[in-house]
Amino acid sequence: MKANWRLFVGLSVFYAIMAVIYYYVGGEAVGITGMILASCLAGMVGFYVWFTQKRIGFDIPSDDLQGEIADDAGDLGFYSPHSWWPLPVALSACAMGLGLVIGWWLTLIALTALVVSIVGFVTEYEKPLPANSTHH
Amino acid sequence: MTTFAEAPSVASPRQGVERKDSWGSQFVKTVTSTDHKRIGYLYLATSFTWFLVGGILALFLRAELTRPGMQFMSNEQYNQIFTMHGTIMLLMFSTSLFVGFANVIMPLQIGAADVAFPRLNMLSYWLYFFGSLMAVAGFLTPGGAASFGWTAYAPLANATYSPGIGGDLWVIGLTISGLGTILGGVNFITTIFTMRAPGMTMFRMSIFSWNTLLTSILILLAFPPLAAALLGLESDRIFGTHIFDPANGGAMLWQHLFWFFGHPEVYILALPFFGIATEILPVFSRKPIFGYKGLIAATIAIAALSVAVWAHHMFATGQVLLPFFSFMTFLIGVPTGVKFFNWIGTMWRGHVSFETPMLWVMGFLVTFLFGGLTGIILASPPLDFAVSATYFVVAHFHYVLFGTVVFVMFAGFYFWWPKFTGRMLNERLGKIHFWTLFFGFHTTFLIQHWLGIKGFPRRYADYLATDGFTGMNMISTVGSALLALSMIPFFINVWITRKSPLVNCDDPWGYGASLEWATSCPPPRHNFLSMPRIRSERPAFDLHHPHIKTEGH
Repeated sequence: MKANWRLFVGLSVFYAIMAVIYYYVGGEAVGITGMILASCLAGMVGFYVWFTQKRIGFDIPSDDLQGEIADDAGDLGFYSPHSWWPLPVALSACAMGLGLVIGWWLTLIALTALVVSIVGFVTEYEKPLPANSTHH
Repeated sequence: MTTFAEAPSVASPRQGVERKDSWGSQFVKTVTSTDHKRIGYLYLATSFTWFLVGGILALFLRAELTRPGMQFMSNEQYNQIFTMHGTIMLLMFSTSLFVGFANVIMPLQIGAADVAFPRLNMLSYWLYFFGSLMAVAGFLTPGGAASFGWTAYAPLANATYSPGIGGDLWVIGLTISGLGTILGGVNFITTIFTMRAPGMTMFRMSIFSWNTLLTSILILLAFPPLAAALLGLESDRIFGTHIFDPANGGAMLWQHLFWFFGHPEVYILALPFFGIATEILPVFSRKPIFGYKGLIAATIAIAALSVAVWAHHMFATGQVLLPFFSFMTFLIGVPTGVKFFNWIGTMWRGHVSFETPMLWVMGFLVTFLFGGLTGIILASPPLDFAVSATYFVVAHFHYVLFGTVVFVMFAGFYFWWPKFTGRMLNERLGKIHFWTLFFGFHTTFLIQHWLGIKGFPRRYADYLATDGFTGMNMISTVGSALLALSMIPFFINVWITRKSPLVNCDDPWGYGASLEWATSCPPPRHNFLSMPRIRSERPAFDLHHPHIKTEGH
């Protein structure tokens, strides 16, 4: 996992250095801001991955040079077999944007639809499953 | 006494057994899909459709420019068409083509069952799908589509100079589509970090997966500034705010924000296709990749440097640091050169054979090299001033982008078609397709370098007979017709091979290296029924050719 956070932290440091250099050679505000924000973004991801790695405390099988396929045996996790929810989320997001162009009434309706569909999307698998369900 | 018969139980549909589906159930299956491969095919098909739409718009432009005088368009229509041509080709075709290839291939190459967030994947697709339609829907409005160029420079793009809801639809549509792209990038990074198969360490990952990772990082860096800039522009257009008001320096602010997105965007388009080329070269050279880690280092360097070169698009404003951006731009030529060195090193003394995918990669190497060289010319401010905003620039970026995206797209199609469908495409038609497109492309765009040097400005709808541009424009238009015709062999190819015999093996090319060649063609729902032990960056090769020792890392 080292390569992961080193990649992001490395990019973060590089962008920070570029921001400093750009400032010293007389760069304008937009670029300096952009590069500092880029550095923060890369640093945030790098920190999170480093922190998670430290918290887990061992290499996941993916990062084990001697990893065997059997190391990941068992459930791979839950995969949604199919889902209707992405469609209404995207449609209402688009309608909301369209409302900005053609009228606020549409934005308000679409906002309601968006909230409903996001709740549906997020809680789709939160319901208790029937006991005889084939998936877990 | 009555006898009881056991009530027959309702047979539940057996999992993993394909029933013969009606069109309707196929449709429902597709719009509710969470399968990365099916979503990937949706992306590939949708972006290819946009490629055709953008191509037809380009033919309109070329037809109008063939002769002096306005043949069949008004200036305004011409502006709309080149604006939408650029927008469609960059954001609706190329960017989502990357997402398509990455969706289908990357989880297979790292040995994952799917992407990390399958439903988010579909959400990205729908945002892209509807966002793109919205951006192009301006053509159906009374005022027509956006006509301020795909760069939407301030103040041209504001409500005074570009009234009409076509522009608003363009801004909102791109914001929504860009949101989909950002979510796609998050999905890919998470998948690569957490879902690699055991033993598939970062430095055993295929180059295409590495490039997908770095492209996704660039998406995270580039698309939020674009979204911010677009929302600012829309706020100016609707609410009359003064974010991009030239009186407050808004013209420069827009250009900085736009190119802070725009330049990394070019690498978002290029890097994944470099990755596909790097997958194909060793297979048809019968050699391992030369300088695997060097290629990764070069890609990281390009990704790092790409946020520090944006203002080379703004040399002509006279308000940017010429030495800084010129130097950084020259610097980015170094890792690109490293890539070329490694690609040639891969072929060097290999048993190179020219099946169709390899032919397309050769076409890419030639075309992109030429585009790269004119890029070096444009990186030098004095030379840039002379040809800025002329057809020289148009020729340059078509060599770079068409050379990379389109040539390598077809390379990838011919290479992975058996993996997608279980069937090979026809080689002879593939070669006819390649050579027609190759000559069509170079006839169209090579001449535009000289057209630009002679001074024909880009985005002009017309010119005078006395300007002396007529001959070169006619050659270019003839080339573009040839380029368009080259799609016909491809469609015939797809059609006639739709029922050709199945390849019925994991690796029809015989020398496949990365993990997608270790599963069936096409792969099952969650990709692998069995997986080889991963001890090098060529797990499928090690599986199929165990007697050849490869250097393990």
